[in-house]
Amino acid sequence: MVKEIERAGIPVVHMCTVTPISMTVGANRIVPTIAIPHPLGNPALPAEEEYALRRKLVSRALEALTTEVQDQTIFEL
Amino acid sequence: MKLELGFIEIKDIQFSNECKVENGTLFVDAEAVKTFVYEDDDVKACVKSASFDIARPGESVRITPVKDVIEPRVKVEGPGGEFPGVIAKVDTVGSGRTHVLRGMAIVTAGKIVGFQEGIIDMTGPGAEYTPFSKLLNLVMVCEPVEGVHQHEYEHAVRIAGLRAATFVGELGRSVTPDEVKSFETYGIKEGIEKFPELPRVAYVHMLQSQGLLHDTYVYGVDAKRSLTTILYPTETMDGAIISGNCVSACDKNTTYHHQNNPVVADLFEQHGKTLNYVCNIITNENVYLADKQRSSDWSAKLCRLLDLDGVIVSQEGFGNPDTDLIMNTKKIEQMGVKTTIITDEYAGQDGKSQSLADADPLADAVVTGGNANEVIVLPPMEKVIGTLDYVDKIAGGHAGSLRPDGSIEAELQVITGATNEMGFNRLSAR
Repeated sequence: MVKEIERAGIPVVHMCTVTPISMTVGANRIVPTIAIPHPLGNPALPAEEEYALRRKLVSRALEALTTEVQDQTIFEL
Repeated sequence: MKLELGFIEIKDIQFSNECKVENGTLFVDAEAVKTFVYEDDDVKACVKSASFDIARPGESVRITPVKDVIEPRVKVEGPGGEFPGVIAKVDTVGSGRTHVLRGMAIVTAGKIVGFQEGIIDMTGPGAEYTPFSKLLNLVMVCEPVEGVHQHEYEHAVRIAGLRAATFVGELGRSVTPDEVKSFETYGIKEGIEKFPELPRVAYVHMLQSQGLLHDTYVYGVDAKRSLTTILYPTETMDGAIISGNCVSACDKNTTYHHQNNPVVADLFEQHGKTLNYVCNIITNENVYLADKQRSSDWSAKLCRLLDLDGVIVSQEGFGNPDTDLIMNTKKIEQMGVKTTIITDEYAGQDGKSQSLADADPLADAVVTGGNANEVIVLPPMEKVIGTLDYVDKIAGGHAGSLRPDGSIEAELQVITGATNEMGFNRLSAR
């Protein structure tokens, strides 16, 4: 899906836990996430801390989306 | 460490009012098994009912949904007991002598635990795909207490199956085995001295540990909470590893697979002849990337520390565990240790899609258990043990999988053991 959307000219950030798979399938902008069953949150955290974590993840993704890249790039948190 | 296995051939199972093994027939009082199973508090709290049935090879019988398959065994000499840390107290197993009721299994089945239980057909095309169609199966059909949580029920049915196997295994304690075989691996220095010319080979055994009903237990320890470590191969043969898995039926390793791991069997077959079988390295398949990195680092490190020349790596499940598989393989190869991997494929119903989610040029020796997406039609059976209620829902099934005449059209995924990644399969292709 990432590749097809990019082919249509729209940049994509792939947020995922297993970044090696994202690299293998050819995503260009990759943001590592928390865990496979809960990529964009962490149920072990208190609500406020989890909210902060989620916000940080989305901010990082938006930042990646507006960053020029030459090669496949992983944007660490 | 040396283990003797005494095989008692079971040629028939009969319900009876007594429990014994005589001239190859297991006579079993279902009520007595049930009483022993229900002595566990968790079983009592979560399992509303347990009933027993027998399925024999060639009978027109379909067992579904299947949770686990377990071979009854009993420790007759040496430390420990069956399923240490779970049923028996924790003690290192893998030495002494164990009796095996060969040719039969305990199968746990009944109302679904997760959504990935399987089907065992005792005859027809489906039977060709599962090794369990060739066994005499004592099936325990369980029903949950209403309102019980899935993970509690999974635990309870897991324990119920192991307890039933323990009870039945015990009946082989004083029976004279039909065949006795011994298995032994050596300490590092001892092994090098014994076989100075032979390549040092180990087995990297990947254990499903994704959580949420996808778990494996080693001496009672949840594998996701452990780092990569080493076992004597005979510990596996003696019940150290058990399945708590509701992963896709075709490529989950049941407890029976762990007890009868074909990689272990074949490495022992070559041990001292063409290779020196050093040990098993067990590693997990967790859902955090850091865990995947850490565990595969440790696999590679242990391979180097043990001065191995080669390893066989087997996977369990598919999808993100493909990354664990590739990370292990790549890092072990980079240590200068040769690898061969055993996996299976999800290449689409037409077989044209990429087979694994991850890949690397260093993974250049691959054995496949087959394409789990391959579609198969299973004809109706005269008798169903369990229920057909979940056929459309289990992984590999779809809405309409179960047809009005009782036949099933589904992917091979639904068949227990069909594309097993230890290579415990019956079919091959040319």
